[in-house]
Amino acid sequence: MKQKGFGFYFRIYLKILAQDLKSKMSYRADFIISTIGMICTNIAGFISFWILFRRFPSINGWGYYEILFLYGFSLVSLTPVQCFFDNNWSLRQYVYSGDFIKYCFRPINLFFYFQSEVFDVKGLGQLAFGLGTLIFAWVKLGLGCSVLMILKMIVFLLTASLIMISLQNAAAATCFWIQNSFYVMDFVNRFRDYAKYPVTIFNKGFRFIFTFIMPIAFIAYYPSLVILRPDAVPLLSWISPLIGILFFFLSYKFWMFGALKYSGTGS
Amino acid sequence: MEPIIEIKNVVKEFKVLNRHEGLKGSIRDLFSRDYKIVRAVDNISMQIGQGEIVGYLGPNGAGKSTTIKMMTGVLEPTSGEILVGGNVPYRNRTKNAQEIGVVFGQRSQLWWALPLIESFKILKDIYQIPDADYDAMLNFYQSLVDIEPLLHKPVRQMSLGQRTLSDILAAFLHNPKIVFLDEPTIGLDVSMKAKIRTLIHALNEQKHTTVILTTHDMGDVDALCRRIVIIDKGKMLYDNDISHLKQFFGSYRTLKIRIKGDLKQYAEEITGKLPECSVSADDEWVSILVDESKSTVMHVLDKLQKDYKIRDMQLEEISTEEVIKKIYEEGVK
Repeated sequence: MKQKGFGFYFRIYLKILAQDLKSKMSYRADFIISTIGMICTNIAGFISFWILFRRFPSINGWGYYEILFLYGFSLVSLTPVQCFFDNNWSLRQYVYSGDFIKYCFRPINLFFYFQSEVFDVKGLGQLAFGLGTLIFAWVKLGLGCSVLMILKMIVFLLTASLIMISLQNAAAATCFWIQNSFYVMDFVNRFRDYAKYPVTIFNKGFRFIFTFIMPIAFIAYYPSLVILRPDAVPLLSWISPLIGILFFFLSYKFWMFGALKYSGTGS
Repeated sequence: MEPIIEIKNVVKEFKVLNRHEGLKGSIRDLFSRDYKIVRAVDNISMQIGQGEIVGYLGPNGAGKSTTIKMMTGVLEPTSGEILVGGNVPYRNRTKNAQEIGVVFGQRSQLWWALPLIESFKILKDIYQIPDADYDAMLNFYQSLVDIEPLLHKPVRQMSLGQRTLSDILAAFLHNPKIVFLDEPTIGLDVSMKAKIRTLIHALNEQKHTTVILTTHDMGDVDALCRRIVIIDKGKMLYDNDISHLKQFFGSYRTLKIRIKGDLKQYAEEITGKLPECSVSADDEWVSILVDESKSTVMHVLDKLQKDYKIRDMQLEEISTEEVIKKIYEEGVK
């Protein structure tokens, strides 16, 4: 048996993805309606944000376009979790019904196999919207453009994505222990909204929680400081890619620990 | 014969919370540390050779699924040893998965939205099946059943029978050493059952695949298994050839007849006439359990027809549950 490396998993993922897209196209109405729904949600979010900032042009030293930058940043970094890890939302149903056991019989990584089954196309609409916002804010802020800047941007977007993925993995994995993990996932999802604001607007207690316990400050705030405030980048920003990797690893371990402990319902 | 599966003194215990009744009880359960230990599998040992088809029987909740989950590496035994193809399943789950195929009852493992052929292609990659082997297997399948109409149909549009057939084909695709089939014919019509039995039989014969089959259908057992293992309440009751078991159920059949009048009274009369049979009556039928090693059903029917006007009749084979009950009560001779 050949070693199953990155290439092996990548090929399988592409194959499943291609098949999945093909079958999704066959539900055309569903695809169009969910895309429209996604655009409406984002526009509504954007409008409430815009109204808020017409009254308070700056929050705690953060200007309109800077906040817009954070907003776009968090949307873009949300794309991977939306596209690739959406099956987490169904995990509790699989566990509850006992169907989760079917993932245990294949000679590939359990976590990979489970997540590979769903690719959510809606995430791409969000990506387009987020990128638009981000570029608009970028131009308005006159941040300039250099290879280094773009490289930094990519690294920190990936960091933010990793944190989002970790939070969702951990929240979804709670269903291996508790019956209704929907509330946990929903709770984490709501907290994620706070990622769109600079963490300095919160008081000390919340700042600590958002940095070290539920690390949503790493989703947009700390990474984007590198781009927005290059003169005074705190240490936490620089180490945020490491923190992203660490959190992802921990959430993966937690997920797998739950999955292996899982024994299925009798049949 | 070199054993492919070795199970030695395997025990599996589950920790279950002692639940209390009512709302008060539920609140108490939230904080309770009052656990009891349930033994789902109690000291089971067996060896299974390459190419055997073993019928694994027992009533619901006997511990069959738990044993299979341990052999497939999903569960870790509390104590004892399991070796499947030289692997400890729980410790080398992925390596073990490469060597086995599993069909778990009505839970399809195929990709719901995909046509079967696309699922096969993904499985080909997952199990790293060489092109030549893959093509040979598909041709072999084609010679056994008409798979052409299945291949391009999405699994979600299939009937239960087609889905089960597809699941079985998928489980054998990578030519595993062992295939576990958990109630493969449940809910299927007679012709589909026959089709599936023929398929399993041919695959076992040609590929020498070891098959572990759990079922409640004695027809499956009759058609496929030479050896039978029976467990109940986690304990092993029987492990021997099917021919040996025949003396428990092969020779017993139940004859049911309908006669106009008071059935209870007839039952008593018939008991007097047929002392070797046990007779009972319900609202519709008089049931006569005939031991065919002593007297034949035809003989009994003949005798009864002389005295009564029989309006309707049924003949029932003894069920697995009854066999197990018999073994439980009388022990293995």
